Order: sequence, then structure tokens, then C-alpha cells
Amino acid sequence: MAKTILEVMDLKKHFTHRRGIFSTFKEAQQSIPAVDGVSFYIKENETLGVVGESGCGKTTIGRTILRLEKPTSGKIIFDGKDITSIRTNELRQLRGQMQMIFQDLDAALNPKMRIRDILSEAITVHHRISDAEVEKRISDLLEQVNLKKTKLSNFPHELSGGEKRRVGVARVLSVGAKFIVADEPTSALDVSIQAQVVNLLRDLQKRLGLSYLFISHDLRVVELISNKVAVMYLGKIVEMGLSDRIANKASHPYTHILWSSLLEKQSKETAQKAKSVHAGRWGVFDFERPTAGCRFVPRCPVYESNGKPTLCTDPATEPQLKEIGGAHQVACHFPL
Amino acid sequence: MTAAPTLKIEDLHTYFYSRDKEAFIRSVDGVSLEIAKGETLGVVGESGSGKSITALSVLGLISARPGVISGKIGFKSDRIQKNLLQDLDDFVKLTTKGGKIMAVSKDVVGWERKAERVMNKLRGKEITMIFQNPKSSLNPFMSVGKQITEAIQLHTSMKTEPEAKERALTWLDRVKIDSPRLRFDNYPHGLSGGMCQRAMIAMALACEPSLLIADELTTGLDATIQSKIVDLLLELKSQLGITTMLISHDISIISRLSDSVTVMYGGTVFEYGPTKDLLSAGFASKHPYTSALLASVPSKQSIREKGYLQAIEGDVLDTINVPEGCRFYGRCNQVTEKIREKCARHEPDLREIGSGHKVRCWLYFD
Repeated sequence: MAKTILEVMDLKKHFTHRRGIFSTFKEAQQSIPAVDGVSFYIKENETLGVVGESGCGKTTIGRTILRLEKPTSGKIIFDGKDITSIRTNELRQLRGQMQMIFQDLDAALNPKMRIRDILSEAITVHHRISDAEVEKRISDLLEQVNLKKTKLSNFPHELSGGEKRRVGVARVLSVGAKFIVADEPTSALDVSIQAQVVNLLRDLQKRLGLSYLFISHDLRVVELISNKVAVMYLGKIVEMGLSDRIANKASHPYTHILWSSLLEKQSKETAQKAKSVHAGRWGVFDFERPTAGCRFVPRCPVYESNGKPTLCTDPATEPQLKEIGGAHQVACHFPL
Repeated sequence: MTAAPTLKIEDLHTYFYSRDKEAFIRSVDGVSLEIAKGETLGVVGESGSGKSITALSVLGLISARPGVISGKIGFKSDRIQKNLLQDLDDFVKLTTKGGKIMAVSKDVVGWERKAERVMNKLRGKEITMIFQNPKSSLNPFMSVGKQITEAIQLHTSMKTEPEAKERALTWLDRVKIDSPRLRFDNYPHGLSGGMCQRAMIAMALACEPSLLIADELTTGLDATIQSKIVDLLLELKSQLGITTMLISHDISIISRLSDSVTVMYGGTVFEYGPTKDLLSAGFASKHPYTSALLASVPSKQSIREKGYLQAIEGDVLDTINVPEGCRFYGRCNQVTEKIREKCARHEPDLREIGSGHKVRCWLYFD
């Protein structure tokens, strides 16, 4: 049985939203529940994919796990150790084991540093080793991520999108991280480059035994790379299970809609059918006025077709994740 | 052949000069394509293959030098029929060597003065473009409705504000923005990405252009929003019969929306043909690049087997040093021993190999 590397229990992260400069005095702060009670675990050498629309809290989960954000409540256990509220100097050591590949590498790579300096800085921050060893480490890394040595003296803007991605991956590997949060690593990349990056991530996982939390809104890539998939909607996980089951036997109406919006799967006829599924009201959810009960109600086709049962809108009975067999959990009163 | 196509580009060259490398970047290097009236042409290719530069060249929006240097852009609508680059050759002197352009001297001021006279009448009115990033192409200091109204007042016969406003509102409604009257006074930052994109579509179509250029319309949008924008475009297409040039690297969008497809690589057209021939699986003769692009999308099979994706190794062609032979030679995985010599030495031309299906590859020529 593989070891559990990360366990998250009822994690919450609420941001405060201020209106006007005097709101701090008036206590007119509103709290926005970006992540609102999320629990999951990741085993060693495993990938958990997180999907959902923008604004559903995917990135916030990743950042909170790495303690880049301070969690409001809940527990994060990494490698058997509670890291929810450890101190900064301990955190620094921890960051040698868990790292993040950021979404926008134009912003994440210092434009005034050469690739060599970016990599060697990452190494020397975490390990005290000689220059010669750093050199060796860098050349090993380049080999691992399949990047040409001549690129070392280039600046980030001189690299293509795929190469920048690879530098991002190399930097994460340079500190010897075992657990990696990959935040939209393939968005804004061409299909061919996307394939290169996905292959690289899989290859590294096999060779180095890494675990990933893979955040993306590209459903096809998530389905391909992950063992388990968690579907998020407005700060909550609404469905979680093996990626094969989520993709083909989705039980939550939201997952169903997400997957039916995949263009590739639609031929022209099924497109017509799918259209009727997500016709309905499809407004943007207002965080400041959350609905009572199930959060998905305003957009839910099942709620409409079931004649708007009060169970769904009752604040006392917000659906919780329930096991429906085969390690498949759904938070819905009327799973499909 | 029926009526003349709405847009016909012939042998377009757009170059840039890289000062520190002291060489030309051949972004668009002999592109020819045409779009018939009411048709949607999909343009696919990796980034850096010259898709966007081709579109910007059509609109005369290239400001870097030397920019567009030769070619023909034939445009035809109900009102106008014209070669947009007519009489501009006088401003450019090309030095060629072995069919390759080696030096360019261009009177940029003269060219622009003349070209602008033509383009000012067309841009925004006859040809409109939806740009890649909706948030950055809307003015953050103006309400969305005001911006659309302004475009209508500028480009159509509706010069009074109430009239134009009425039209803007009908268009906001047509692109399915909820409660258009409310959204009319919203500023771009108050709208979601999908709504901004809808507003852009409304603005582009409100002047009833003859040609719409949509550049990476759905990149950066969520899957659900993406499919809704595509649905909207399909609906508008069947209602209005707009002629569209759709630029994207997402093959699934191209395959749903377009009638024909142009595959671009390294500043040239590699393959052209009807969508159903080019992008449907199992079609026999296909350019290795097109097949590779199709294979790199996660398919049902690769997902089931949890296998690797077929990546195209290497990087997009560096258009500064265009190789002697085929531009794709270095990354191609279908080179056979028989044609290897040819691929490395001679660049293939674009030849017709089936009805309306053109390919630039030695594999299909005997």
C-alpha cells in the first residue's frame, strides 16, 4: 500500500473583501469563501487532478497547501506532519519537499536573470553545496527536462513557451521536491507543446516517484494525467473519484455539464442535445449572495426537472460528499 | 468557379528586421489563401507560424518595419472590390537571390500614407477583427455600451446617438448578454471574460462587416464558456451568413466551426482543404504536420490507455534561418529514405492532390 503523502481535512480559506478605505473601521468586511471545507488525500506517486471553472478556488487550494496563504481553518498533513500552523523557519525546510509550478511563467521567472542563475539560486537556497556540484546538478536537471545546454545563458524572454515551462519544472526539481502543485501548467500553450509538457511530467513522475496536485481547466489533459479527479464548484468539491469514472460515469449534474461541454466529444448532433442541457439560466454566481442549501441550484438542470424540491434549497441540508461505491464520492441529493 | 471570393491573399510576404541578429524574420513568407462569401476558413498552426501576422497584414495593422513587403490582398464585398495592396509596389525595392528575398528597401512613410487612405474606409466597417485578449482590447475607461455605440456611429450611417444606442442594445441582446440594458453601462472590469468576449463579438458585428477575423477567440476561457461562445458563433453564422477567418490552435474549435481549413507552419501554408477531409480521422493523405497536430490532442484512446501523448519534438521553426529544404524537415517523422534527399534540399510547392485539397509535401508527389 502506498504511503499517503498529503492529507487535507476540512480546509477553509476565506478572503475578506473591503468596500472603501474606511471599511476596516466600520467592520463592513465581507468574507468570500474561496475554499470552503475541502478534504482529500494524495498518495505517493499519485496524481490528483482538480477541475472547475475559473474562480472556483482551484488555485487557492494549491497555494494554501503550500502555505503561501494562511488557511482560515482546517488541517493540512504533509508526510505525516501537521503543517497547518508551523513557523516560518520550519516552513522553509518544508519547501524543499513541496513546490509549485506557477501558472504564468512570464511572471514567475525573473526577467533580469539568466536561466543558469535562476536554477543555481533555487539550488543554493536549499542546499549548501560547492559551485562545481551546483554545475553538475544543473546539467543533470537539464537532461531530465530535456532542455539544451546552450539555453543556460539566455534570458527568459528569449525562450519559447515550452522551454519556459521546462525551466519552471527544472527549478521545482532542483530543490528535490517530492510533491508538486502544478497550476495550469499547460494553459496558453499550443497543443504540440502541451503534449511535450504532459509527457515530461508523466516521465518525471515515473522516474522520480513524484506526486502531483494537477490544477487545470483542460478536462482532457486532467483525465489523461490523473489517477483521481476532484471537481470543484464555488469552493467545494462536488465530486471526486477515479478519473475514468468521473469522465465516463459522472454523477453530479455539474460534472456532467463540464464534460458535455468538451468540444471534441461532440459531433454536430450531440452538440444539439448538449445545448439543451446547459441552456437554462447560466448566469455568473454572486459570491456575496450565496444560495441556501446546494450551491449549484441556480444552474442545476436536475433541480429544474425535479420540480424544484425544497431539499435542495434548504440551508440545513447542504449536500455533503457521500460515497456511492468504487471510491466515488458525490455531493448531490439526486445523483445522476 | 462562382463569384469571386471575399478575401483572396496571394503570395503575401511580411518580414520584420531583427537588429541584433541583423537578419530578417520571415513571419509570413508567401502565404496564399482565399475565403468564399459566407464561408468560414479556419487557420491552424502553432504559435509563431504566422497566423496572426497574416490577419494583421490584411488589416494593415503592421507597424514594425519593413512589415508587409509584397503580395496581393484581393477583397470583395457588395460595395467594394479592390486589391488592398494596389500600386504599393513602387514603394518597395526587393533584392532577390535564387528566389529568396535578401534585401528590402521600403519607403515606409509613402507606403503607409497610401495604404491608410484605402484601409481607413475598410477597417472596422468592411473588415473587423476580434482580438486575442478581450479584456485588453476593450477600453477600461469607457462603458461597454458606449464603446459599441461609438463604433456604430463611426462606421455606419447611424450618426445620432440614440439611434446607435438602440442598435448597440439589440446587438448586446443578440450575443446573449443577460439584461443588456443593465450591462450597457458596465465597465469592462465588471464583466467576466466570457461576457467581454461577447461584447467584442457584438462590437465587431454591429457594423455588419463583410469579413470578420477572429483571432484566438476562445483561448483563456473555461471549457463551459468556450463551448457557449462556439455555440453563439454557430448560431450567428447560420443567421447572418458572415464570412469569417477563424484563427486558432485549438483543432476542436476549428473542426466545429469552419468549412475549410488552412494549416500554417513557419510562415507558409502547408495544407489547405475542406474541414471534413482534413480533420476527420482516417483520411489517408494528410501532411505529416497536420497529422502530428491532430495526434498531440489527448484522444479517447490515449486517455483509456493512460499513455503518453504524441508530442511534436523540437520547437517551432525559427523564421530567421529558414532552411533550404522543407520547413518541417527537422521535426518530421514521416520522412522516408526515398525522399529524404529531396526533403532536405528542395522546398516542396503547394500542389492540389484531390478536389480542393492542396498539400505542400514530397510524400504525395511522385
